[in-house]
Amino acid sequence: MRLSAHGLSLAVRAGWEGRVLRRATSDERERTYAVVHLATFPMPEQRGDFGQGVTELMRSSDAFVTLFEYGPESLGTPLFAHQGIPRVRADMFSPTRLQRMLPGQLGCQLFFTENDRPFCLYVVAGSRAHLPRIVREVNLVLDGLEILI
Amino acid sequence: MAVLVAVETVVIVLLTVLVAGLLRSHAEILRRLHELGAGLDPDAPAGERERPVALRPRGDLAPGAGASGPAHDVVGVGLRDDAVHIPVVGVRHRTLLAFLSSGCLTCRGFWDTFASGADLGLPDDIRLVVVTKDLAEESPSALAELAPADLPVACSSATWAAYGVPGSPYFVLADGATGQVQGEGTGVSWEQVRGLVLQATGDAAVDLRNEARIDRELLASGIRPGDPSLYRTAEQIEAEHRP
Repeated sequence: MRLSAHGLSLAVRAGWEGRVLRRATSDERERTYAVVHLATFPMPEQRGDFGQGVTELMRSSDAFVTLFEYGPESLGTPLFAHQGIPRVRADMFSPTRLQRMLPGQLGCQLFFTENDRPFCLYVVAGSRAHLPRIVREVNLVLDGLEILI
Repeated sequence: MAVLVAVETVVIVLLTVLVAGLLRSHAEILRRLHELGAGLDPDAPAGERERPVALRPRGDLAPGAGASGPAHDVVGVGLRDDAVHIPVVGVRHRTLLAFLSSGCLTCRGFWDTFASGADLGLPDDIRLVVVTKDLAEESPSALAELAPADLPVACSSATWAAYGVPGSPYFVLADGATGQVQGEGTGVSWEQVRGLVLQATGDAAVDLRNEARIDRELLASGIRPGDPSLYRTAEQIEAEHRP
């Protein structure tokens, strides 16, 4: 089943929950960009862009994925130099790469640009024991991800 | 004068037809509501008036078609400019889908209950998800006011069609592990729907307990899975006991 909004389109895997959203703004001059949330468990409606309020609910076999778009001011900066949608590997995951460190969890952050749109891909794995499967499934999601101009 | 009387007669006839049409339409609405278990007949006995339609197995399936029909994931849009995919099949929990709308009066009580913040009293393994029709068929501003911030709400006419929802309010209880609908129906208050869900949960637990007890008794008698005695027909058993 494909989920499409805000210039993003992706195939959601069976049993995964997915949202493609854009935060509301409180100021007319403010602009927000696309955010994708994917999880292997029910996500709370009140959650932070990078999984605040979500990762606390994860079990060891669970995975949580955020794809966060930055504004055009980030284009061309060294952090977003990688062109194209990346893939994750098990050796990219570490507890120190988590936004919020929780026992057993591992995180991975990758910055990239696709079609002149800068993104951060942030993946949280519930445990190292389930990392090979989580890596495989996240890469399958990334295989089907389309970022439109 | 004659012209005036003629015009007046035509107007009266037109009004009569209009009133008759309205009464007929009203009667039809009441009849449909009654069929859904939300009859508004004030003369009906109190017990009958309060009785909801049970969360029943689907009746449109062929005998032996399995539990109660297949469940479906919810795919639609949310109320915060988002696209939503909520899995119902292939998950560890059960999902109670509440099919509500922004315009139906009976739904208002459910929206208020969900927004009250009070404990809904559902078993821990049940996730409540509200599904409305597509935003084009709803009032987005009314939904924004009604929908609680902490409850998943998806607008998806396709999901209504997939579950064959006849109208709102309507509830479907789906089991993620089996991918089957456990029961469905409507009610006029959350207490009624919750009671039916708890009853369905209890019935399922009794079934499981019975199955486990029968398995234990068979094992104690030395009858294991695949034992030929488990596959005897009624005629064979009768023949064995015939003098």
